[in-house]
Amino acid sequence: MGEARAYMIGADEISAWVATLLRRAQVIAPRTLHGLDAAYDEIERPDQVAWGYRTTISPLKRQLFPQTDPLFCWHQRAGYGLDLRPIYDQQERVFLAIRPCDLSAVLFLDKVFSRDRCDTYYLARRQHSTLVALACTEPDEHCFCVCAHAGPFLEGGYDVQLTPLQGEYLVEIGTDKGWELVRLAEELFSPAPAKAMQARRELAQQAEQRFSDDKAYFAAALRKVTFDRVPDELWGQMGDRCLSCGACAFVCPTCTCFTTADFDGAGDGVRCRLWDSCLYESYALEASGHNPRAQRKHRLKARFLHKLGYQFVQKLGSHGCVGCGRCVTACLGRNDMTEVTARIRRGAL
Amino acid sequence: MENLYLPDLAEVISIRDETPDTKTFALRFCDPRRWESFDYRPGQFVEVSVFGVGEAPFCLASPRDGAESFDITVRNAGAVTRALHALDRGEQVGVRGPLGNGFPFDQVKGRDILFVGGGIGLPPLRPLIWTMLAHRHQFSSITVLYGARTPADLVYKDELEAWRARPDMEFMVTVDVPDGNWKDRVGVVGSLFQGVSIQPSNAVAFVCGPPIMIRFVVKDLLDLGLAEDSIITTLERHMRCGVGKCNHCLIGDKYVCIDGPVFTYRQMKTMMDPG
Repeated sequence: MGEARAYMIGADEISAWVATLLRRAQVIAPRTLHGLDAAYDEIERPDQVAWGYRTTISPLKRQLFPQTDPLFCWHQRAGYGLDLRPIYDQQERVFLAIRPCDLSAVLFLDKVFSRDRCDTYYLARRQHSTLVALACTEPDEHCFCVCAHAGPFLEGGYDVQLTPLQGEYLVEIGTDKGWELVRLAEELFSPAPAKAMQARRELAQQAEQRFSDDKAYFAAALRKVTFDRVPDELWGQMGDRCLSCGACAFVCPTCTCFTTADFDGAGDGVRCRLWDSCLYESYALEASGHNPRAQRKHRLKARFLHKLGYQFVQKLGSHGCVGCGRCVTACLGRNDMTEVTARIRRGAL
Repeated sequence: MENLYLPDLAEVISIRDETPDTKTFALRFCDPRRWESFDYRPGQFVEVSVFGVGEAPFCLASPRDGAESFDITVRNAGAVTRALHALDRGEQVGVRGPLGNGFPFDQVKGRDILFVGGGIGLPPLRPLIWTMLAHRHQFSSITVLYGARTPADLVYKDELEAWRARPDMEFMVTVDVPDGNWKDRVGVVGSLFQGVSIQPSNAVAFVCGPPIMIRFVVKDLLDLGLAEDSIITTLERHMRCGVGKCNHCLIGDKYVCIDGPVFTYRQMKTMMDPG
């Protein structure tokens, strides 16, 4: 092995590779839960990886930006006042068999947390992470990554990308970090033949054609949201359908609104950051009682400006949606990205 | 790399009652070296923690001078402010900052300066007023207009008297609802504009107060002939993180915490905010 950036590994050998990874790091991979849902979670054994999964119920952000994330603790030293200590998570992790949309979302979070000033909590976890993508050959019912340029295959951004090819996996290496993982068990891999690369290109094309036609219309929605040309009446109608439940934000791989809370006990305590949602009524409420976003239509408008407005594309490099389709499943009011962009495009509910 | 969310410890070194529900706290860093890097401008703010309760943003209410301490003026309105009001001298709080952009200073030298404050809107203006008075010769005229609901709601009462007595500035105060002892003007702060002698084309106004007051005062100032970018205000939003990450203070695409909190009226006008 050496110069090549693409290899093959058999389905049996891949378990041996996973066993090797498990000896070196925590491995987070899709696992089948009760029922048939899959979730990204820690595995202890190679046979726990649900290689055939379509999508997970919650995104990968949970692992890099946890729902409850301790920032620092304090304790009272008798006679010496308070002592403050930051709490960093520097666990070495391999994220294995991650869907391209979720991996694209991590690249977006990298921008969010390193723009202007760096968030050391996110970056500490990120620096100790290696991302192994699993390309999608079969989109799920609600997927629209192809509209968001976030899948179904990745052309970059991954450390390693796996593509299932007739009982084997094509292994593309994107970074030195990815190469390190392969090098741990070099004997399991063989250089990929040219026909494997050709087969991968064909699979990617076929996968793109499997998406149905009526997905997300980003271009028109981006333009109208950016220039505030969505009728106020439409925001009102969509606001009426919003339950302010925050489900869309919690399942969204790119949503990062947070708040903080102190947990205190007898002089010692910890400050955590917690996921928040810009659709909650109290989100912008000030101590004075003034609430600049008291109405649901205003909160919905702010949310979609943040997701789609070119103002934010400029700051973050892309719009805030990777087309994973989770909000389609989660939103009881059908204010998901595909519906909202379609309504914005036609200017009516 | 710098930890954005870890506060530095500071001690409450004095507490002054301003109004029945407002106190001014002077804070000093427990580590004296922290003061050297705490180089702030009027208009910036800090996030102050009461450990176990939480954190809230407060404007820096005193000029950075030799005192090696700084003031925050706090109205008892929510969980963190209630906990601050319960503190005694010598107790510790957490401080992150300075945060935000601050008021323009060098850019407005030579001009007629007009301050318009409403109620608890005076604290953000106070460090700028004192800094400009300390460099009095660099400005043309300095006028401070201050309004509050009742005489009891006026903050910095000693300093108001000092400003009134100074020959090198003009100071006027008004209340909406007078009490038996009130001898001064009655009415909204906008009613004070009639007595102001400024040259609108050369004037710059710093306005801070409740949203309704800002709306009316901005209209008055535009009617007087001030340019849109000569009307400067500082906005209050629910600034949770103060460093542009948590998104709570977004107005359209602007983060009040890092793009502001100081904005010109021209900027405010283009900010896409529904509320």
